[in-house]
Amino acid sequence: MAVSDDTRTYENPFLDKLLSVPGLDVAVGSIERLLDWGTSNALWIFPMATSCCGIEFMAAAAARVDVDRMGTIVRGSPRQGDVMVVAGTITVKMAPRVKKLWDQMPEPKWCLAMGSCAISGDFYRDIYSVIPGIDTVVPVDVYVPGCPPNPQELMRGLMRLQDKIHLQREGKWSPPETRPERDKMIRPEIGRVGDEDRDPLLSSVQLDRARSLGLDGNEMRDNDDPTGRMLAPQTLSIGQHNGESPAAGSDA
Amino acid sequence: MNEAIAPLLGIDVADVSDFGMTVPADKHFALATLLKTSGYGLYVSVIATHFTEQKKSRKVPEPVPEHFQVATVLRKPVKGAALSFSWKVKLDVGQPIDSLVSLFAGADWQEREQYDLVGVTFANHPDLRRLMMPDDWEGHPLRRDYAIDTPHHPWR
Amino acid sequence: MPLDAPEVPGMSGRALTPMFRPDPYLDLTDYEADADLMVLNLGPQHPSTHGVFRIKLVLDGEVIIKAVGYPGYLHRGVEKLCEKLTYSNITPIVDKNDYISPMINEQAVNMAFEAAAGIEVPRRGRWIRTLLAEIQRVASHLIAMGTFTLDIGGAIGGGASMFMWAFRDREMILDLFEDLSGCRFHYNTSCVGGQRHDITTGWEKRAVEVLSIIESRIPEYERFMSENPIFVARTRHIGVLSRDLALELGLGGPIGRASGVDVDLRRDAPYHCYDELDVRVPVMTAGDNEARFLVRVAEVKESIRLAKQLCEGVPEGPICGAKPNIGPATIKIKTGEVYVGVEGPRGELGHYLIAGGPGGKPTMPYRLKIRPPSLHALQCIPYLLPGNNLSDAIAILGSLDPVMGEVDR
Repeated sequence: MAVSDDTRTYENPFLDKLLSVPGLDVAVGSIERLLDWGTSNALWIFPMATSCCGIEFMAAAAARVDVDRMGTIVRGSPRQGDVMVVAGTITVKMAPRVKKLWDQMPEPKWCLAMGSCAISGDFYRDIYSVIPGIDTVVPVDVYVPGCPPNPQELMRGLMRLQDKIHLQREGKWSPPETRPERDKMIRPEIGRVGDEDRDPLLSSVQLDRARSLGLDGNEMRDNDDPTGRMLAPQTLSIGQHNGESPAAGSDA
Repeated sequence: MNEAIAPLLGIDVADVSDFGMTVPADKHFALATLLKTSGYGLYVSVIATHFTEQKKSRKVPEPVPEHFQVATVLRKPVKGAALSFSWKVKLDVGQPIDSLVSLFAGADWQEREQYDLVGVTFANHPDLRRLMMPDDWEGHPLRRDYAIDTPHHPWR
Repeated sequence: MPLDAPEVPGMSGRALTPMFRPDPYLDLTDYEADADLMVLNLGPQHPSTHGVFRIKLVLDGEVIIKAVGYPGYLHRGVEKLCEKLTYSNITPIVDKNDYISPMINEQAVNMAFEAAAGIEVPRRGRWIRTLLAEIQRVASHLIAMGTFTLDIGGAIGGGASMFMWAFRDREMILDLFEDLSGCRFHYNTSCVGGQRHDITTGWEKRAVEVLSIIESRIPEYERFMSENPIFVARTRHIGVLSRDLALELGLGGPIGRASGVDVDLRRDAPYHCYDELDVRVPVMTAGDNEARFLVRVAEVKESIRLAKQLCEGVPEGPICGAKPNIGPATIKIKTGEVYVGVEGPRGELGHYLIAGGPGGKPTMPYRLKIRPPSLHALQCIPYLLPGNNLSDAIAILGSLDPVMGEVDR
């Protein structure tokens, strides 16, 4: 996996030792909850806005959808940022700089991939100078899809990040590197219009495959929890096939 | 307009398309100077295209060797009639073309970009190096025989 | 030497006059100064580089001696990608070039395809295109004004006021566009032959209301800027661009018009329905940051006036002159070579198309080149920055209003 090895989870070894003392875990748990409440309600954003999603990011920071009401301030320096919002296409020339700036951010830090160019490279995916998704360079915590996502969607992504911080503390979230099914995620092979060997039946094949996995849009939605905030993250992994081999790296 | 200019420089005006006339490479700079002095002072663009070799077939009546084409567009900043003038230069592989940097400062980055992406060299350009791609990139991406998904970086 | 140039009277410390032209390839090996020179990298990631643009500055203390620009951090290979897509598929791709005014991008590229194919757009289609282009110009200039004051003032230092106002007004315009095409951004509403989406009478009425609201707020913005002594001190006589240099660099939009280049393609090389309208073009000769800002404000007022005029009297008829672009291979162009330039909010946006060609297909372009106005604007950097302070570098870059999506494509 092309993800860096540095730890990202917010673990303090001293607290682990304290938890073994009988009776102290209740008090320590409250302190942890206080710290998490403070962290999640004051997520300072370090923007890595390269293209069009950067404008929607600015619109999210502006008057109508104001992320400042969540306590987030846009700080230009990586030393002061908690969340790196990668908004826009990342190219071959830009990727080492993104990695360098990610390394300069102090722990605890999270990364939010905004827009489909940062998630997977969008339709620029196979181009010589584009990185297919920023999760090949830095570990991403929340993906906000869209081209570009509405400012409300970015807000929802930040709220999901807040949930994730709480879930991490409660032990209900494991970082993606330790989840084995992630390696089996298969990139879709969608031929591009104009390619001679594009198979017109491919889309129906993909639909059947999705249905065989049980991924039907209506079944996943819970009427009591329409935004899906309460779903435990492990049930949402896509691409969990039964015994299928992981795809090879090339997708040209 | 083409018919008025061509005899001044000794260009054969028979080769004219809707876009503009084809000018031999050695008359390129002289034509640009003539146009700038007669009012076409707004520099618009330079575009280089790579044409691959075409063998004789049903669609191609005559075999076409591999060549480049450099098209230049200038505009006249006149109120009410801002006409543009464009012409083409056909180059063989490896043949350089004169740079217009000494006439138009805006040709600097445009010519560097065409060198970077297509591979046409511009003679007398003060600083001809890559603009868009990283400095250690090999190949010229916008050539027709360059695959769009050529891998370069280990992250791919 | 750059610092030997005569000073502008009244502004101490500003060493440049319009007559002086710095050398972008200045060799600094023989430079004699008391202090050493410092190389500062205004790197690709910076809050106010308007995208990913790198400038290498050579400083003598606080004063810039030499500035070199490095684009290419957002090069997405759009021109190469367009060689593999059919004509009706290219519209959403070029949306993302100049992502602040996507309407005008789409229209410009479709105009190139129509010119090469010989397709004529019906009058209603052209009328709607003109109307949408003018409203988009208002939205784009609002962002330019907002981010310019954000660069000058800083997010916490008061520059955020204009930024918030500009985005608040722009949200109203984006609501209009969302009603029309379904997207706030990247509309894909223009197609080869005309428009894909049609406007209704209710939409026109709402457009007039929105534009009236914005028009009533413009004097407030002007007063906010012109009565602010800090703003005036930071924008007057800073970044002076002479008319000759602007012509050579190929700048014709607000930047050129602030320097005295009296060219506007809407008036001088009309397309769409501009020949039926009387486009009044603001031109100033100062060429500094303040002039560029004032030209943009004046253009906003003019665009609002044109858009309101266009909203009354929309002709009836079809909106698309070709077959509806539903399938990918609807538009076929055998051969053609054409350059079409339109007036974008940043200057002349042009598309050069070679269709057909030896070895090409009739359904895809052979070569599509986009002539980005921001690339020429960024070529001013080695000429405008030397002699100014480091903080003025940010202000000058903001006033040039580059969009890196179209610089790098």
